[in-house]
Amino acid sequence: MFKPLFFCFSLFSLLVFPSVQAVELEVDRVKTLLNAVDDLWRGESSYAVTTMYVKTANYARTMKMEGWSKGKEKTLFRVVKPLREKGTSTLKSDNHVYTYLPKTDRTIKLTSGMMMGSWMGSHLTNDDLVKEARLEEDYTAEISFEGERDGQRIIEFTLVPKLDAAVVWGKLELTILADGHIPVVESYYDEDMVLARTIRFTDIQQLGGRLRPAVLRVVPADKPDEYTEFVYEKLSLNVKLKDGLFSLSSLKKR
Amino acid sequence: MKLNLLAWRNLWRHKRRTLITASSIAFGVLLSVTFTGAGDYFYTRMIDAGAKMGMGHITVAARDYNRAPSSQKRLQSANQHQATLRELPEVSSVIARIQGQAMFASARKSVGGTFIAIDPAQETASNNLFIQCLVEGKMLETVSDKGIVMGVDLARKLQLSLGKKVVYTTTDVNGDIVSAIARVSGLFRTGVSEVDGGLALLPLQSVQTVLGYESDEVSFIAVNLHDQRASHVLRDSLQQQAAFQDMEVLNWQQTQPDLAGMIAVDKSANKISQLLIALLISAGIINTMLMSVLERIREFGVMMALGMSPRHLFGLVMLESFWLAVTGLIIGIIITIPWYLYMFETGLDLTSAYGDDFSFGGVLLDTVFKIRLFKESVVGILIGLFSLALIAGAYPAWRASRIPPVEGLKAL
Amino acid sequence: MNLFTLASRNVYRHRHRSIVTTLAMAFACTMMIVFAALMDGFTIGSERNVVSMNTGDIQIHQPDYRDDPDIYSLIEQAGAIVEQHQQLGFYATVRLFAYGLMASDESSSGVQLRGIELETEPTVTDIDQHVMTGQWLSGDDPHGVVIGKKLSKLLDVSLGDELIFVGQTADGYMANDRFEIRGILKSVSAAIDNGGVFMSNTMLRELITLPKGAHEIVLMRHDRTTDLAAVTAQVKSRVGEQLEVMNWQQLMPIINRFIETAHLQTLIMMIFTYIAVGSVVLNAMLMSVFERIHEFGIMKAIGVKPQQLIVLIYIEMFIQTFLAVLLALGAGSVLSWYIQENGLDMSSLADGISFAGLAFDPVWYAALTSNALMMPSVFLFIIAAIAVIYPAIKVAVIQPVEAIHHQ
Repeated sequence: MFKPLFFCFSLFSLLVFPSVQAVELEVDRVKTLLNAVDDLWRGESSYAVTTMYVKTANYARTMKMEGWSKGKEKTLFRVVKPLREKGTSTLKSDNHVYTYLPKTDRTIKLTSGMMMGSWMGSHLTNDDLVKEARLEEDYTAEISFEGERDGQRIIEFTLVPKLDAAVVWGKLELTILADGHIPVVESYYDEDMVLARTIRFTDIQQLGGRLRPAVLRVVPADKPDEYTEFVYEKLSLNVKLKDGLFSLSSLKKR
Repeated sequence: MKLNLLAWRNLWRHKRRTLITASSIAFGVLLSVTFTGAGDYFYTRMIDAGAKMGMGHITVAARDYNRAPSSQKRLQSANQHQATLRELPEVSSVIARIQGQAMFASARKSVGGTFIAIDPAQETASNNLFIQCLVEGKMLETVSDKGIVMGVDLARKLQLSLGKKVVYTTTDVNGDIVSAIARVSGLFRTGVSEVDGGLALLPLQSVQTVLGYESDEVSFIAVNLHDQRASHVLRDSLQQQAAFQDMEVLNWQQTQPDLAGMIAVDKSANKISQLLIALLISAGIINTMLMSVLERIREFGVMMALGMSPRHLFGLVMLESFWLAVTGLIIGIIITIPWYLYMFETGLDLTSAYGDDFSFGGVLLDTVFKIRLFKESVVGILIGLFSLALIAGAYPAWRASRIPPVEGLKAL
Repeated sequence: MNLFTLASRNVYRHRHRSIVTTLAMAFACTMMIVFAALMDGFTIGSERNVVSMNTGDIQIHQPDYRDDPDIYSLIEQAGAIVEQHQQLGFYATVRLFAYGLMASDESSSGVQLRGIELETEPTVTDIDQHVMTGQWLSGDDPHGVVIGKKLSKLLDVSLGDELIFVGQTADGYMANDRFEIRGILKSVSAAIDNGGVFMSNTMLRELITLPKGAHEIVLMRHDRTTDLAAVTAQVKSRVGEQLEVMNWQQLMPIINRFIETAHLQTLIMMIFTYIAVGSVVLNAMLMSVFERIHEFGIMKAIGVKPQQLIVLIYIEMFIQTFLAVLLALGAGSVLSWYIQENGLDMSSLADGISFAGLAFDPVWYAALTSNALMMPSVFLFIIAAIAVIYPAIKVAVIQPVEAIHHQ
């Protein structure tokens, strides 16, 4: 079904980590590290150009889009390619999500019934999107492994949803490089701690003035031959954006 | 009085004929009691079961809620209205509920469905069908419980078992998307596939928090009655009251039009069948009375010659019909009482014929066939029976009163 | 004298009595005919209703489609199967389904798009005649859609309003188009009422980029009296093991069970009616013989043999019953025919009637089957024959003197 376009932002922002309240040093360190990872992606504002590749048993498709964000609550996306979807744009402003459909010249507000299914044929669900801003509240994090693995020095975090958090997952595991705090892989487990999907971060390169992974690939655990890949072509952080950009009227502009 | 005695004696001059006709009347009584009683029992069961599945016999809701339900339409000051409604003598229970559409999600799947948020303190097996249908785990315990009770098929689709997490996503009072978590505390099986595969119960207060409702705001108040037949009158009287002016008061026919339609059709089919049988019985009465008039033309001629007026003769035959009906009724009562008592207490178990998940108009039913007569139905059957006998007797009586005395003497 | 002539004269001589007896029997028989026709109409009507509204006799899917309606679970050779079965004397059509979101100005709701073939669908089902307001689909108006009754309320829309569909195409793109409401259906089934959006097959193919194949093939027999289970097996052997072939009884077991039990109930009702008729006829025949014992006594006294008397009584009975049956056949067929043509309209009693999620036609039509005419007539003869056994024997054995003094 239908799904907002700023998903790739949402995924990156999964790395925006939980505030940790405990007093211990260890906890402070977790917080510092995760904030450092977070800083990789988050600025006051951003502009990005991304290409999405989707491969499933039934089709393969490519889509190019550009997006703007300001703070955590305002995001705007617009499809650039292919032609048949060009101009389709999605706005998330606080708790509201709207999509503009150029073919019918209509703007639709996302409803709770639209949360299921894949967006644009990708392997992502809407759940993460709506939860984006709540990640900090939803999880508690700890370092579950630190040291050498597969020839790389890494730190592995385990994120467990808080008791009341509206999260379907049983836990998340995030592995980052000890040097540069660049994410490597993030794994989602269901409640029985069975792997549900994996996100791999690869192709580390200069992007927006820093070394970051430019490719992000989502693989569902039950269909290992399928994937959705996001490739960052351009990213600039802390760009000047007017609040007016994130309004219903700017949705329709091309 | 003498005419009465004469009529009674005339009737018993042909014992066999009278007994056969009386038996057919008695048979009619038995049938009528069975059909009407089965209807009275069956419809009440269905209506009560339907009421227990969500909206009660009477529903007090925000304006326009029933036509197009949404979480924006909510009923305020629910506690106060509940207190008012509890005062009414017809009312057996008054419960406040929130009902809405939600997407239920596990890590594996997500499924769209309906939720009903309840205050467990107000809900009992007598006003909540799902409590009776619980097959695993337990019911919600408090108004701010962390649990969710759902249909077995919904749990199966979501690949969930007891104790597992469910995220439900819905639209709040401002139209924004909100979601919250609950853990499966119980599973129910009603046998109605739409319900088992798409309904979940949630604790009221938790849902109020999620939706942004005040603590006395709900979707509707479900009012259950001691006797479902009072719903129409009570709804009309509530609608008149100032306290309920700016809201909607509905009865079960409006909240469950499918069920109401099904019952109406079944009732009319039942009535058509009864009417046919009534017509047959009256044909029997006419036949008997007409025969007895025809064979007594000479006798009536003599009676008229002796000074009996046509009006008396008419009355005589009508009285014969009346006493025939009384005889039939007495035989009818004698044969019907044991049958009725048996069907009232034990009933026929039709589980093998219908299976144990029989539903009617979207409402689950038990499959023991019992009969239960309302007082009005008893009165209806009696009135029906006597009017039948008297109408059927009218033509023969009229024929008798029209016999000219002389011709009567000449005949045969 | 010929016994038959004697019997007819007797019947004529006691014409008042004969008329009363005959009319009573005729009336009873008429009631039975009308009742049987109503009951047959109910059974035939509910099956027809179940089958012709949407389901058809037989449906073909990919094995897992009904459990998990995946857009890719296609029957590739659908066209060939349809053509083959049309040549074999079936009505056949294909359907295409897609899921997505339909938005009106007021609200939005998840829907099932149902792409149907405009030419062949009306040969299989009567859905095109089930429009409550507006019109059925037309080839000239590809963006006109017909939607379910409850969906129209949910979306708060009426005829001519615009709807926006958002979904996904088969090749992973966004499916999005604007439609106009051309018609709103009467109640059909829970699924169609709450979320059914009908459009032409061609339109839906284009919308979801699915150039060939179909999700569902629906077959309908020309001859409804053939054995459905056997026909299903034949279809199964033709289309092969890899497709699922099911008839409506398998697709809707609850409805099937309901119709079967309803049939049982009508039989019970029928028995009750027959008992009531039996008592009327028994009484009528008993009276017509017993009240003439005096006369029979005289006949015996002048030398008529008991066997001859019995035959005479039976011939009289036969004449009366025969007349009654003739009358009943006439009156019964006229009445039943009237109900068959016009129906008993129950819609004043209720808005919509549904059972197990399936809507029923609120008009009750009778069905004047040969059974509905035959059974009551035969029954009338049997019950009349039984009724006169006792009086006939009594007349045969009674002493003339006793008979003459019989009251």
